[in-house]
Amino acid sequence: MLGFFKNAFSPRRDHADCSGCSLCLLVCPVWRQSRDISLTPQGHFKAMQHGLSTADPAASVENCTLCMACEPVCPENIDITGTILELRRQLSAPLWLRELQTRIAERAAKPVASPTASSILLTDQALLAHPDTLARAVRLLGGEGAISTSGDCFDISLALEAGATISEQHRERFLTPLRQMKKIIVADGLLLRYLKQWLPYASIIGLGEALSGHAGVRRNLCATDLYVIEPRAYHSDYQRLVKYYDRLRVTHGCAFNLDLQRIAIPATARNLSQRLGLTMPNDEGQTRWVLHGRSINRIVVENLEERAALEKASSFPVVHLADLADVHEV
Amino acid sequence: MAKSIDTGTMISETFQRKVIEPSTPSAYSDSCHVGPDALLGIKRQQTNPTRWNGQSWQEFAAALRDHDIELRENIAARGTFATDAGGTAYGLPHGVVIARSAAQVSALLKAAQQFRVPVTVRGGGLTTEGESVAFGGVLLDMTGMSQVLHVDTDALTVRTEGGIFWHSLAEELRRHGMDYLSAPLNLTSSVGGTLGVGGIDVNSPRLGCSADQALSVQVVTPRGNIVECSDTQNAELFQRVILGYGQFGVITEATLKIRRYTPLRMHYFYYDSLRIAVEDMQLLNRNDASDYSGILTIMDCAVNLLVAFDSDEREAAFRANWQSHLRGHGEPGFALCMLRRYVLRPWKLPEAWFLFQRKRELFPEFRRSEYMRDGLMHDRTVVFSRAVWKFWGSKQMVIPDLATSAEKFVEAVERGNAVCRKYFPHYTLYCVGIKLRPEHKAHYEMSCIPPDAEGWAYGCEFEPMIGGQVYSRDYFQSFKNAIYDIGVDLGGSYYRFGGMMKGYIRRVFGDEVVDRHLAMKREADPAMILNRDVIF
Repeated sequence: MLGFFKNAFSPRRDHADCSGCSLCLLVCPVWRQSRDISLTPQGHFKAMQHGLSTADPAASVENCTLCMACEPVCPENIDITGTILELRRQLSAPLWLRELQTRIAERAAKPVASPTASSILLTDQALLAHPDTLARAVRLLGGEGAISTSGDCFDISLALEAGATISEQHRERFLTPLRQMKKIIVADGLLLRYLKQWLPYASIIGLGEALSGHAGVRRNLCATDLYVIEPRAYHSDYQRLVKYYDRLRVTHGCAFNLDLQRIAIPATARNLSQRLGLTMPNDEGQTRWVLHGRSINRIVVENLEERAALEKASSFPVVHLADLADVHEV
Repeated sequence: MAKSIDTGTMISETFQRKVIEPSTPSAYSDSCHVGPDALLGIKRQQTNPTRWNGQSWQEFAAALRDHDIELRENIAARGTFATDAGGTAYGLPHGVVIARSAAQVSALLKAAQQFRVPVTVRGGGLTTEGESVAFGGVLLDMTGMSQVLHVDTDALTVRTEGGIFWHSLAEELRRHGMDYLSAPLNLTSSVGGTLGVGGIDVNSPRLGCSADQALSVQVVTPRGNIVECSDTQNAELFQRVILGYGQFGVITEATLKIRRYTPLRMHYFYYDSLRIAVEDMQLLNRNDASDYSGILTIMDCAVNLLVAFDSDEREAAFRANWQSHLRGHGEPGFALCMLRRYVLRPWKLPEAWFLFQRKRELFPEFRRSEYMRDGLMHDRTVVFSRAVWKFWGSKQMVIPDLATSAEKFVEAVERGNAVCRKYFPHYTLYCVGIKLRPEHKAHYEMSCIPPDAEGWAYGCEFEPMIGGQVYSRDYFQSFKNAIYDIGVDLGGSYYRFGGMMKGYIRRVFGDEVVDRHLAMKREADPAMILNRDVIF
């Protein structure tokens, strides 16, 4: 408990505090693929300490996948994700981002719809593209009467990832209906991180944690499963979730996509440009590393984007958590 | 470029022991660079390397481009490597090359030799005396070579590239149910860098230093030849490269011994006397009573002897035969000792408060539930290393050390502790033994292993806890000198004798040994380009 308060209130530090210990390299998917320190936050921070200006172009800022694995391992408690997003904010905005900001502004001008349920699931685009899985998830989380879904957050998520400024008015328009919710379940881990900052007293959890807490889902987890934790949500609340998933391991015996530091290894390593389909993603090295040396019969994922990548790379069945519960329970 | 493996001919030419030439500064004044501290002269205590003047850099850069080697000269690339973990030495290279293959490193070194461009090799960059800082020339970032090439679970060996971090190696080995034998308690030391200096773990009292785990290595010599060497193949080169501080080649691949992974059964014993704790640790080492042992202190007030085991059998044998011989306390017993001590010395209450706070922060880190299962500690290197960075790491790290024979060790620790007391309010000592391998005696010459050590060598690191305090570089240097003077006095050695501390090399090893190594270095590296100013 004391540790929680210490972490919660200790000030976040910035690039000037980077000691160059390289612990963040060990968990960085960009580092794993490139072995090039200049493409990583540490390389960027050290270069900034020794002469690089924020105006200089830096591939590390654009290449970061925002998996947030580096933050829990940083002994200096540097706000790495926040710093990367701040640096992105200073880059000149591409056309698609300007269009996105216009879209957010237009939506902000419209009236806010009243919530129809006491809880809400903020989906991501991958989940919305799979209506069957989404419907099963909703039923597991309480049914349509108890939980509503919203895709209103896509543009906000994208703007956050791009480092775009979201005006106070736009943010309020987005947050107003959420303030009335008893529970907010979030599929996008980056949005989850920011919602926890914006609504510190609200009950907010990631979709993976919400579904894995369901008895019907847990009952069907087994020791020969590889459970792939969605990295962003996990790393955004690492101190608590590392213990949560460790208990899940103890009770169900399944393997996780955790490294020796108990950091989630992403099954994909996509920067923003790749997520948007502007450049081709190359997930092969990352999925191979997740699967390397595993004795498993099935892969269970929290995130549908990772399901697609793992299906491509392995011969094992890959199922989403929502598809794990027995039909009669859903 | 085709990969070429040298025959032993080059090696014997390079390493035949020649008549030692005079090594005064004037004798070499017109020749290639040798740091003034590497020559005969006044007894120096510190070296600040001069920046290389950049002569022929453009021709060198053109030669690299001809070989399709990417040379980065922008400030982003150069600034990344401006300092090392010590954070007290600063220098910028003219350019940076990321190592990608032995053939590429070979081409680089051949061009560097031709144009006399210094090459500074960097792995994890965890040196503290500027050894991996480039004061001009090219910086070779070895972490670009971080692949595990082959794991043989039957022969219990792994072949890996030299730039890999030990932790990355452990990640790969664990997928096979394996583990390395011993490595520094630091996740981001590189394999190649460690084999070049030693590498100490808490199982070193039983298994020796990390460098002793290397069965063979692929080396690119300063002339650019790619050579495989081991105890039986090109043995003289192997002797110089292992524990050679990067003077005789770049380690591009290594074959290491490995073992089956086991969690640890941990025991902690607490002392209020350094001497008694060291004596008890040496008792365990002499009798092979534990698989792991080491001492970690909070100043000299709370001295923790860590004892651990790989198996229930070894633990049971310890409990039956040796535990009763140890004079340390358990945690409650030690708390009572401390209470008695500070009740009788109320003016020392600030010290007591510091100990209490430190304990409150440190202990939970070593007992995190995700690493403890059924009373066993899993992934000890992660637990220890994360704690090391979290509680001892900072942008400046000053860690002078002393290495001595078993007989001299208590005196070394006590005298070093007195120096720490004089210079800093808070500090930590880390003591560990190193089992020596008689057949590797040749490896140990001019290394961290003291020449008079038999059976075990012992090392102690003296690390001030700097926190938010600001100290001048001169203050740090005076502290280091005071520690290193003890080593000269006792006839020991050091782990960190390179870089800024290389003024102690002649003082502690003597002219005959240093001159012989300098002659070998000149022969192997005619332009004296490889890791200049680290030793020579």
